[in-house]
Amino acid sequence: MSDRILRLQHVEIRVPDLELCTAYYTEVLGLVETDRDTHDGVDRVFLKCWDEHEHHSVVLREAPTYGLDHMSFKLAEQGDLDYFTEKLQAASVPVKRYAARELGPGWGEAIRFESPSGHLVELVYGMERLGNMLPRTNPPPRPEGLTGIAPPRLDHVFVMAEDVEAFTAFFTEILEFRLTEQILANDGHQLAAFLERSHTPHDIAVITGPNGALHHFAFWVDEWNAIRDAADTLAYHGVTIDVAPTRHGVTRGYTTYFFDPVGNRNELFTGGYWVDPDFEPITWTEEEMGRAIFYYHRQVNEKFFTVHS
Amino acid sequence: MGILRLAHIDVRTPDLDLATAYYTDVMGLQQVQRGSVDGADAVYFKCWDEEDHHSLRMRYNPRTGMDSFTFRVEAEDDLHDYEKKLADYGCQVSRVSRGEAVGQGESIRFEVPSGQIMELVWDIEKTGNILGKHNPAPVPPPDMPGIAPPRMDHMLVNAEEVGESARFFQDVLGLRLTEQVLDGNGHQLGVWLAGRTNSPHDIAIVNGPNGALHHWAYWLDDWDHIRKAADTLAYNGVQIDQGPTRHGVTRGNTIYFFDPLGIRNEVFTGGYWVDPDQEIITWTEQEFGKGLFYYENIVAQRFLRMHT
Repeated sequence: MSDRILRLQHVEIRVPDLELCTAYYTEVLGLVETDRDTHDGVDRVFLKCWDEHEHHSVVLREAPTYGLDHMSFKLAEQGDLDYFTEKLQAASVPVKRYAARELGPGWGEAIRFESPSGHLVELVYGMERLGNMLPRTNPPPRPEGLTGIAPPRLDHVFVMAEDVEAFTAFFTEILEFRLTEQILANDGHQLAAFLERSHTPHDIAVITGPNGALHHFAFWVDEWNAIRDAADTLAYHGVTIDVAPTRHGVTRGYTTYFFDPVGNRNELFTGGYWVDPDFEPITWTEEEMGRAIFYYHRQVNEKFFTVHS
Repeated sequence: MGILRLAHIDVRTPDLDLATAYYTDVMGLQQVQRGSVDGADAVYFKCWDEEDHHSLRMRYNPRTGMDSFTFRVEAEDDLHDYEKKLADYGCQVSRVSRGEAVGQGESIRFEVPSGQIMELVWDIEKTGNILGKHNPAPVPPPDMPGIAPPRMDHMLVNAEEVGESARFFQDVLGLRLTEQVLDGNGHQLGVWLAGRTNSPHDIAIVNGPNGALHHWAYWLDDWDHIRKAADTLAYNGVQIDQGPTRHGVTRGNTIYFFDPLGIRNEVFTGGYWVDPDQEIITWTEQEFGKGLFYYENIVAQRFLRMHT
């Protein structure tokens, strides 16, 4: 049987200043520019992390506003496109299908649909493979000459929804994600949910907020010390740090949050734990929400809840 | 259908009390229970973040060795499918019923081509980690003894015919080859295989005597934890085999060391994400030293020749 959805494939982000953002994502964050195009009259820049093999994991899209255009998850097999199309249509969700390269350079065959929270979601198979920056014979453990923070890969995306429970139901029942953690309000309704396919604490998470909003997307780094080094790089370049290096209760991850030049929130993340398919979800209560989100400070700055893109 | 991850390893030791003291006080595992297996005393251990009943069973025997190793499958009905696939390959498969082994339900057992006994199981008694599911702290209590790794990570066994073993694990069990070392004639000297962890390896097979266990490894989150583990090992007079250093193969950070009765252990961190369609990495014989120990660039003879 197919592995179905493997992991987050890419995010496409709206940016009002394409050149400024390209400079930030390549020179400060240290991603690699792989391509550019003009699609339906919109200029786009394609980026990947050094250890990623496929054409892109972040797409910057010139637009008057900032925020998330769409998020895309990688499918294990081509037949998964039909499998999810049928499941979505059975739930009366309209699905659009795209041929390989129809959506842009390097792009695989894809389906797109809207989640109950109004986010555009894509499932994709067969992205063009460019390889990582290492040879496949006798490779060194990492390339030399990387610029900026240079995380090895994209890790997860965090969005907002007015109805978190409907979002969770859609992702678990139709897309077969598994719930790992949740924050419950005193009346029992879900304030936030963390969902995975990669046996990690999360590939996508959702918290109560306006429909369609992006809270942040996160890049993986290998350890806590890399988070500290990254904070030095961010501070050196004058990047606005939202939350300095700290630890989450939820996911157990180490983190720092910051903003790209147009206000999209980025995160660097490491840690977490292994998740079996029958993992019993962890529950956080409303009173412990501060500790859940920022374990050392036990409180969440107001900006963290109210600022999104 | 598929192999999810390593579940537990069952070994024999000639000094159960000494081994227990080492695995609890130096390695920092939890002793789950004592019992008896085939008339011999046995102790079950687990790491603090493991939810399964145990990940290591040690039983008394005058000779050190491995009884078996167990992988968890992805879904309950996979056992039936594997039973058939293994029988088609020519394996003698025996079913172990619920109640016969501590901490798990039904399983199947068989001999892999290199002679080790392997077990597959879905139904594992979930006893939970030490943090619980309700507002859990992200870290265990600070006064835990020893290295205290969160979980077991992978194992390495020896095989006289690495290529044959690799084909068995890939074709019959559905593990995915991530890296290989080839000799000058193109024969596989070592292979690294992953289940559904999307990591560089859940099991590796390196040329050596059939039936042998080379080591098993515990996961640590961070290179700094590897360094702290080396301090703990040195303080307790544990014999360090290699490291702290880095592997070329898997990119992992590592230390190898021996338990008091000579079984090799490893602590490991790092690696990378592996998609199922990722092209494998190949190491040539000339670069094997770097593949093994990237900084030292040596084909360490004790490392290759000593096993359990």
